[in-house]
Amino acid sequence: MSGALGRRRRRQARTAYLFLAPGLLLFAAFRLYPLLEGLRLSFTNARLGRATEQFVGFANYTRLTEDSRFQVSLTNTAFYALASTLPVLVIPLLLALALNRGALRNTLRSVFFFPFTLSVVTVGLAWLWLLDPVVGPFNYYLRRLGAPSHSWLAEPQTAMWAIIVTTVWWVTGYYLVIYLAGLQDIPRDLYEAAALDGAGGWRSFWAITLPLLRPVLLFVMVTHVIGSFQLFGQVFVLTGGGPGDATRTVVQHLYETAFQNFFQFGAASAMAWVLFAVVLGFSVLQFRLLRGHTEY
Amino acid sequence: MNRAGRSVSRRTFLIATAATTGVAAWPRFGLAQPKATITYWNGLTGADGKVMDELIDRFTQDTGIKIEQQRIPWAELYAKLQVSVPAGEGPDLALIHTVEVPHFASDGVLEAIDDATLGGKGFKGDDYLPATWQGGTFQGKRYSLPLDVPQHVLYLNVKVMKDAGFIGADGKPKVPASRDELVTMAKKMTKDDSFGFGIGTVNPGKYTWGFHNLLWQNGANIYASDLKRAGVTDPAALEVAEFWAALPNQHKIVPPANASCRDAFIANRLGMWIAGSWNFTGLREAKVDFTAAPLPRIFKQPVVWAMPHQYTFPKVKTVDRAKREAAWTHVRWITDHVADWTLKAGQVSASRKGHTDPRVTADPVLRTLLAQAPNWQVGQSTPKWVAAENVTRPMIESMYTGQKPAKAAMEDLAKQINALPE
Repeated sequence: MSGALGRRRRRQARTAYLFLAPGLLLFAAFRLYPLLEGLRLSFTNARLGRATEQFVGFANYTRLTEDSRFQVSLTNTAFYALASTLPVLVIPLLLALALNRGALRNTLRSVFFFPFTLSVVTVGLAWLWLLDPVVGPFNYYLRRLGAPSHSWLAEPQTAMWAIIVTTVWWVTGYYLVIYLAGLQDIPRDLYEAAALDGAGGWRSFWAITLPLLRPVLLFVMVTHVIGSFQLFGQVFVLTGGGPGDATRTVVQHLYETAFQNFFQFGAASAMAWVLFAVVLGFSVLQFRLLRGHTEY
Repeated sequence: MNRAGRSVSRRTFLIATAATTGVAAWPRFGLAQPKATITYWNGLTGADGKVMDELIDRFTQDTGIKIEQQRIPWAELYAKLQVSVPAGEGPDLALIHTVEVPHFASDGVLEAIDDATLGGKGFKGDDYLPATWQGGTFQGKRYSLPLDVPQHVLYLNVKVMKDAGFIGADGKPKVPASRDELVTMAKKMTKDDSFGFGIGTVNPGKYTWGFHNLLWQNGANIYASDLKRAGVTDPAALEVAEFWAALPNQHKIVPPANASCRDAFIANRLGMWIAGSWNFTGLREAKVDFTAAPLPRIFKQPVVWAMPHQYTFPKVKTVDRAKREAAWTHVRWITDHVADWTLKAGQVSASRKGHTDPRVTADPVLRTLLAQAPNWQVGQSTPKWVAAENVTRPMIESMYTGQKPAKAAMEDLAKQINALPE
């Protein structure tokens, strides 16, 4: 009896693996293999166009400790991740609370979601024009109001903030939809019970809404921080990493090392693995900080 | 039904065989043979791309050779060449900038062109201007053939200069004769969001080609003459760097680092503008009242930055003779019709052939560009040039935006250039 059961389970397992095989094969070919190949390359002096490559040990990694531009890129990326997280957490949440009910909610949800349907290049080009120091509308209206105009993207003090504003405008609609889904999942009777106990809107928000939205907040935070460390498109279009290196990010530095400055695939792979370690570290930290109090 | 009735005589058999062979061989020698189709990659993404399309249509009509173009922004085109050629997936023909020749040649991406082949196709150095012809070589071997000469020129906005009182008795805008005069004139034209002087089409703060031009005018360069050590900390280079930093921070005569000088010029908010020759057809379309003048001598010599486009034959695993021949036919045809390219795309030709065409000499801007020919200079012939240019960009921008003093920026740049891998 047990033998027949075992055979049936093995047959079922074989069938399951057979169905999984196409997906696993694609995963192995397009995810796993490049990942491992990248790891191998990071220990070589591989350069596209050069026939041979040599094993250089940890040289590519140790060189990063002397690469001042990589360190600046890492600092800029970390600053962007930290500075943009709060507005990305708060602004869509406030909008979601406002749009959870009301007559125009569907229309307004669409309006706020619209920017997210645009590609990063479209968003970048639109903001590039809006913020143009000479012919851009922002400065035009500032001048009309008698205020001094600014080169928002060319001044080191404002360039990264301009990128953050652009990004928040772009992604708010996406996180808004996620928050709305989270809000819909909160049972109405909790609010009714709280109201019967005399709790006002503010108290209900702190005691019911926020704790029950914690998994959504965690999701938004983790995905945004991971996305922040991969920041490239907005910077590439808006500032090219400038002024100087004021908005240069790790992915941009990596891209230029791999595809513009001598195709140094070995050095660029080492950067990619360092970035992976940093993102992994941040993700683990966030899970540790928020997971203990979260019910799934 | 007897065998004799169905037999074939030897004569009939031979005639039939000859006829069959003749029919089979006909396309090899006759008019029915299809012409080759070649692939051609270029980065002519602006208005010049449409002009190239028109010329290629005419070429196909004339020769029957079809060309499949891939038009990719220059930076991506170069990355794609570097990846695809070693994989045997490169094009039959590619148009690249002169400064790309050394590193592509060094990496074995380009086919060398021997003198016998050149001569056989009717190309010789005497037909070209020396700076352009020499740009196609690396370490004594030829890898490319120049098409045209994108270069800098000084655009003068007539309205802005008139408002500032810089129109001479002859009705023409005044051209500054020295660095001091340029600064003085520019200061008079600068107010609020209008600027007296600009260099570069967009993002003037990191316009390396403008910075190179000023270096060359002062006898300096990115690399020292040995092409190994950075030359940007030499006194002549530092003088240029100081001037570059002073333009926005001390003189305050140039648009912000990320402005579009082209838009500012079109909007009559920029008086004197050093920019590429590729801009002038667009300015005419925008109906801006402007003139073009030879580049002024801002430092020691009136050197003009130039960057000829070069035709190259990327390496292939096995040469398809018909395709290679077709690619040569195209280069020959374009060279013979280069005046049409000059007139419509606004780029003067590298070969002397188009320079005497009356349609070209009748155009005042093209005449100005041709007059600059003795002063043309191109980038240094080293595989590291492009990588050095990439690290120069943020450094000159950091001076322009006042983040770094000139000397510190140049020392930092020299360190980065010297650290570039072999």
